Amino acid sequence: MLEVTLIYGFINSVILALIALGFSLTFSISGVSNFAYGALFILAGYMVWIFVNLLSIPFAVAAILSVLLTALLGAGLYRFVLLRLRGLVISEVIATFGVGLAILEFFRYLGWTGFEYTLPVFTDGSVMIGNTYIDHQRLWIVGAGTSLAVGLYLFTHYTKVGLAFRGIAQDERTALTLGVNTDRIAGISVAFGAGLAATAAILILPRGTIAVNEGYDVLVNALAVCIIGGLGSTAGVVAASFMLGYAQMFTDSYLGPHWKMIVPLIAILLILAVRPSGLFGKQKELEERI
Amino acid sequence: MTSPSPHSEKSVLLSVRDLSKSFGGVKAVTGVSFDVREGELLGIIGPNGSGKTTLVNLITGFITPDSGEVVYRGRNITGLMPYRIARLGIARTFQMVRPFTALAAFKNLIVPLFSPRVKSLSGGRYGDRDAVAKDLLEEVGFERESSVTYKPAGSLPHGYLKRLELAKCLALRADLIILDELFSGLSIAELASIVPVIEKLVVEGKTVIMIEHRLRELFRIANRVVVLNFGTVIAEGIPSEVMQKDEVKQAYLGSED
Repeated sequence: MLEVTLIYGFINSVILALIALGFSLTFSISGVSNFAYGALFILAGYMVWIFVNLLSIPFAVAAILSVLLTALLGAGLYRFVLLRLRGLVISEVIATFGVGLAILEFFRYLGWTGFEYTLPVFTDGSVMIGNTYIDHQRLWIVGAGTSLAVGLYLFTHYTKVGLAFRGIAQDERTALTLGVNTDRIAGISVAFGAGLAATAAILILPRGTIAVNEGYDVLVNALAVCIIGGLGSTAGVVAASFMLGYAQMFTDSYLGPHWKMIVPLIAILLILAVRPSGLFGKQKELEERI
Repeated sequence: MTSPSPHSEKSVLLSVRDLSKSFGGVKAVTGVSFDVREGELLGIIGPNGSGKTTLVNLITGFITPDSGEVVYRGRNITGLMPYRIARLGIARTFQMVRPFTALAAFKNLIVPLFSPRVKSLSGGRYGDRDAVAKDLLEEVGFERESSVTYKPAGSLPHGYLKRLELAKCLALRADLIILDELFSGLSIAELASIVPVIEKLVVEGKTVIMIEHRLRELFRIANRVVVLNFGTVIAEGIPSEVMQKDEVKQAYLGSED
């Protein structure tokens, strides 16, 4: 049982990281909390489903198309909703959450639930590690999730464009004086995050059916990971995903699956009480807080 | 308006015309007009709260004026977004330094070096941006290959942060550089090293506006000064003459009424 828990804990952790990366990236570049994130995740899933099942587009093409379209939708969300609200954090949260609600509840209204609403796995089959079976899709998730996390870290820390993005994130006013159109960068950041949500959906959703409720779970998990890790920190996302991922899996194995849901919520409460800025977040200087 | 400045024959680069701005009931700037000629170093002085920083914010697009206009190279730039104004070649520093704290000092210059302005000015060829960034830091007084160049900007001493602010303006290849109290908080030694950098800029043909409280150092290098008090221009001219005017003395020393 321990071996299964360890292996599936690892996979669960990568899934959490994959889910949280896009949310974290958007926030780290532009300070926008995209609460439509879970809805975009599900929307991307349904998009692929429509392309494959109703339009007979090959899966690979459908996947790429849905990532691009979701990113475009993210850009639209910024341009037509968030642009007018920039800097009003509560309004940003309410507006994006509202858009997310509309998307998710629209699919609930359509009644698209059930076993036919599934995405195909990339490759069929499974491997044995020790005495544990792992299906190919989970290996894909681990491979893609790890490369995305590493790639993003390298991009923001070692490429000049990535460094420029980080710089802009640190002081928008200074960036403005240096000729940076910060609204455009923020739009790109939301689009980027949305694209990552779609990528995560295409990797993760084939494990089950596309369900509206999972949109809410994705948002809660992304929030939990980002709050624990410290908003906007890639390293924090990875560390927090592993803590939460293993905590969930051990709870699942030794306490029972129905306890699993409260793990992220307890973790959020704990971290807010002990270290509100998260593990890797910068503790604000006192003078900034008052 | 004629001025005894040796640069008076040069063309006007920036023209501020009848600019006004109130915040609530407070008139921060009222009917301010002045010209800045190409290649000149103009000082803007005045007591605290006289509207100097508001004026900088109005020129650089961070605040939209209630009335009046800002004309740069014959083009009305009033109300343009700050990044558009920056791309036209107007750079500014902030009174309170605003570096990109988590990036290494030289990496701070990556952002301006990527701007469309630099791209178009260099025809798309800028070589190695890191090398350009280090050269620029050396130009403003960072010792070549010193460790400060590689430290996160948030950990730099104040004197270096002020130079970094200046380096960012250079990286943008600005034609008009507005320095908002660049000298504040600098030691005499630091001043002695940064003043020649500014003089060199002017020699190279840049136009500089300096908002300053350290008048002695400013007057040594300024061609002309504009004096603000309570948001209006109370005097304008070459430094030595301006300080003789009664209004200026009164503004600085305080009046009895």
